[in-house]
Amino acid sequence: QGGGSAVIDMENMDDTSGSSFEDMGEMHQRMKEEEEEEAEGEAGAGEEEDGEFLGMKGLRGQLGRQVADQMWQVGKRQASRAFSLYANIDILRPYFDVEPVQVRARLLESMIPVKMINFPQKIAGELYGPLMLVFTLVAILLHGMKTSDTIIREGTLMGTAIGTCFGYWLGVSSFMYFLAYLCNAQITMVQMLSLLGYGLFGHCITLFVTYNIHFHSLFYIFWLVVGGLSTLRMVAVLVSRTVGHTQRLILCGTLAALHMLFLLYLHFAYHKVVEGILDTLEGPNMPPFQRVARDIPVVSNAVLNTTAKAIALTL
Amino acid sequence: RHYGGYEYPQQGGFVPPDMMQQQQPYTGQIYQPTQSYTPASAQSFYGSSFEDEPPLLEELGINFDHIWQKTLTVLHPLKVADGSIMNETDLAGPMVFCLAFGATLLLAGKIQFGYVYGISAIGCLGMFCLLNLMSLTGVSFGCVASVLGYCLLPMILLSSFAIVFSLQGMMGIILTAGIIGWCSFSASKIFISALAMEGQQLLVAYPCALLYGVFALISVF
Repeated sequence: QGGGSAVIDMENMDDTSGSSFEDMGEMHQRMKEEEEEEAEGEAGAGEEEDGEFLGMKGLRGQLGRQVADQMWQVGKRQASRAFSLYANIDILRPYFDVEPVQVRARLLESMIPVKMINFPQKIAGELYGPLMLVFTLVAILLHGMKTSDTIIREGTLMGTAIGTCFGYWLGVSSFMYFLAYLCNAQITMVQMLSLLGYGLFGHCITLFVTYNIHFHSLFYIFWLVVGGLSTLRMVAVLVSRTVGHTQRLILCGTLAALHMLFLLYLHFAYHKVVEGILDTLEGPNMPPFQRVARDIPVVSNAVLNTTAKAIALTL
Repeated sequence: RHYGGYEYPQQGGFVPPDMMQQQQPYTGQIYQPTQSYTPASAQSFYGSSFEDEPPLLEELGINFDHIWQKTLTVLHPLKVADGSIMNETDLAGPMVFCLAFGATLLLAGKIQFGYVYGISAIGCLGMFCLLNLMSLTGVSFGCVASVLGYCLLPMILLSSFAIVFSLQGMMGIILTAGIIGWCSFSASKIFISALAMEGQQLLVAYPCALLYGVFALISVF
């Protein structure tokens, strides 16, 4: 076999073609190292390894390079194939095909409970609106944490906010989907994500207002009214899609509880430092420190006079 | 041979495929590469001698004139954007703007280069995914990063304002809101014109506004 042969004799090599990408990378690395070793000078110590590895002593450099190149190409092709298979976000494409008018209409609808629960209500299987609402909630939380100087010891503000909001959206959606499966409700995962996502619109409004205007009573009013409206809407839609009283009760009770409690949690966990500071500063209507003359009560005057008289009498 | 960009092949004959597609002549005048940047000597003389090598800026593909022209496009929010802006992936300008943003934050006492880097990386990735899902034609990551980087310029004005004045009052809130709107309006205008997504400008502007809002949060607090 001469140097001009187009066929590379792979007989003496380990047959790792088609195996994992890491092995190829490792092999390529080894090839590179051996090439470097050879380039430095006579590869005395590594000669047996080289010979054994490639099977051809004389054309070690060229052959090594060719083989390494080929293996790198194969490995790269495999990796890109795996990437295009698993990271293919095109399957989500139809859920992002919306117009601004539609998004606005759905946002407003999410606060209006439906009256008709006797036949299944339509849920838009769209992910743009819910995703934007989750990101808005993250931004509002961040703003709230920054204005109240919240310090998070184990982690970052951004990570906490993103983890909380996405965790709620994805986690509660999955849990509700699982419950819906158990209770035989007619709803798909995308619809559940969409429903819960649009339900966060109420949360966004409430938190935006109450993080800037700090009154407990205002928060409770918003919690009941705004949170309640969006919960009612979600509950009504779910009820229209479920058959049977027990199932309806389980599903709607769980959803209502989780939704309302999440709003409570967000308000209290991420903003209570502000309340603490405000209480210290304003206090229970304390006037500023003033200098007042000490007024001695009348009783002590009488005691003083009596004592003086008693002393005078003894003298 | 006329290359649309400024990268020249270093090894003989190897031209990355996306460079070949940029050879369409630009219709807008400001994106026409000026003739002075086309080297007189042929590309095959590369690496032969020190005198034949092009200047460093040309080799790196940094063209200050182009950066300036694109900056002016961003700064005029009402000017109609040319779709061919996206043809050229220029990351030198955005890099300069990010460093300037970090520098103005540093002057205000906030050493937050890491946050700027992290948020811009994650934000570009998010916008890249979203735009790929929403547009009919795809978009490359370099273009998204380039556009978002250029539209960061008004944010530098905000952070330089924050050096002298505190932005936590009512005027600060109004100014911040205005600047965020300006940045996201410019970015969405460029994206819309380049990706032919008429009628969806608000849908593209909102995520940009969220991203620039996070930058503003770093400037203000």
